[in-house]
Amino acid sequence: MIYEHEIPKDARLYFGSGAKLKRDIEKSASEVFYRYGYEEIVTPLFSYHQHGAVEDTRELVRVSDEENKEIALRADSTIDVIKIITKRLGNTTDHKRWFYIQPVFRYPTKEFYQIGAELLGSSKTDEVLGLALEIFEILSLKPVLQISNIKIPKLLQERYQVPLSVLKSVNVEYLSKEVGGWVESLLYLKSPEQITDLCEEVPSDISDELLKIKELCDSVSYEKIVVAPLFYAKMRYYEDLFFRFFESNLELCLGGEYMADSMEAAGFALYTDNIIEILQKG
Amino acid sequence: MLTIALPKGRIASETIEIFKEVFKKDFDFADRKLILQSEDFRFLLVRNQDVPTYVYHQAADIGVVGLDVLEEQGLDLVRVLDLKIGRCRVCIGIKESEELDLNKPSLKVATKSVNIARNFFAQRAIPVEIIKLYGSIELAPLVGLADMIVDIVETGETMKQNGLKPALTILESSAYLVANKNSFYSKKDEILSLYESLSTAVESRN
Repeated sequence: MIYEHEIPKDARLYFGSGAKLKRDIEKSASEVFYRYGYEEIVTPLFSYHQHGAVEDTRELVRVSDEENKEIALRADSTIDVIKIITKRLGNTTDHKRWFYIQPVFRYPTKEFYQIGAELLGSSKTDEVLGLALEIFEILSLKPVLQISNIKIPKLLQERYQVPLSVLKSVNVEYLSKEVGGWVESLLYLKSPEQITDLCEEVPSDISDELLKIKELCDSVSYEKIVVAPLFYAKMRYYEDLFFRFFESNLELCLGGEYMADSMEAAGFALYTDNIIEILQKG
Repeated sequence: MLTIALPKGRIASETIEIFKEVFKKDFDFADRKLILQSEDFRFLLVRNQDVPTYVYHQAADIGVVGLDVLEEQGLDLVRVLDLKIGRCRVCIGIKESEELDLNKPSLKVATKSVNIARNFFAQRAIPVEIIKLYGSIELAPLVGLADMIVDIVETGETMKQNGLKPALTILESSAYLVANKNSFYSKKDEILSLYESLSTAVESRN
């Protein structure tokens, strides 16, 4: 039985002060984006191209078009933003800085409001990270900023035979006792200042990737930075420098470098619902 | 300050013993209390199966829990250290008079550990019907509810007393120290320092 007032599980409902807070966050973010020359894009809720947008296609909310071709509700904004800008608007605009403020949907009835920015044709992660930091500053939030490089765990797996399962579960004991050496030093690495010394200890392919982390850390002035070079998460498109903001157990933002139709790009998404939860807790 | 979720019972007592050894302090829960606050740690006493939940949601930064529970629940946690206590096996149990035959066209398996059992049989492409039970698993083959059970075995005595025998080990389990991912990255120094101390103590005990 469905009650008259019932809303589906994991659907979002904001009203009164919560809705105002959401609007204020979106307004603050859009002001920052406009100031730095970003233009807004609103993509269709229905999409033909969401298969690459999620890890498991069972997460897609699927419907059909008039020819019974499969369509999904937007599960991620980045892929459609890139496709529309490069394929559809490619001939009419050469604008490279775009932002969006729109929700994404996952099966069966999950909704997530997101605010995102995409910088096409350049892997300037420092620029998009700077935007995210400015938005957090306006919101008076100081979450932990974790900086990782997805290439490091990939190299460890492919060239140095560290099992993926060990990296996924951050198996401390295995990394420390079974692998040891410089990999153990990577496990203990925490602050950007330690990177220069560590670079002398690790192979050159790893030090190249570590230095990218350091460069990104040095590009921002922020106290709560944690370097996590072994962090592994199967990303849909972030495969290089990667950053994540979190406060207690809530993820507030994910971003980094990626390739979009063989074009370099950088971007991030802010998780509005989690930001609202943190701000409401005070 | 680290909050540590411990599973009620023998594993909690043994973990507390290791902490006493390492930190040369008394960590004793007062009668029926579920929280023990010390200078550097806050221990929570929770049900075994709830430890991963407390840690996953960061109600505790770290926790101690059996590998069997971790594998069953599959939550995304940092695996810090095998404490080498609370050792047990997850086994297929059958009637003492029978031989294990996984080639029957259909098999019924009674278990508490539905996911471990399902993964084991799925990996071997063996079609089974899993019957979820909450206790007295050994009864299932005796009354025709199932052909076999997947259950935790410490000494094998419970199975033996009920006319069953462990026929195949699916998983060797012991208690692990696990951490919440965000706690691990934001309290890395504390957690890795605890790992080092406990690791030395565990090695000397074994």
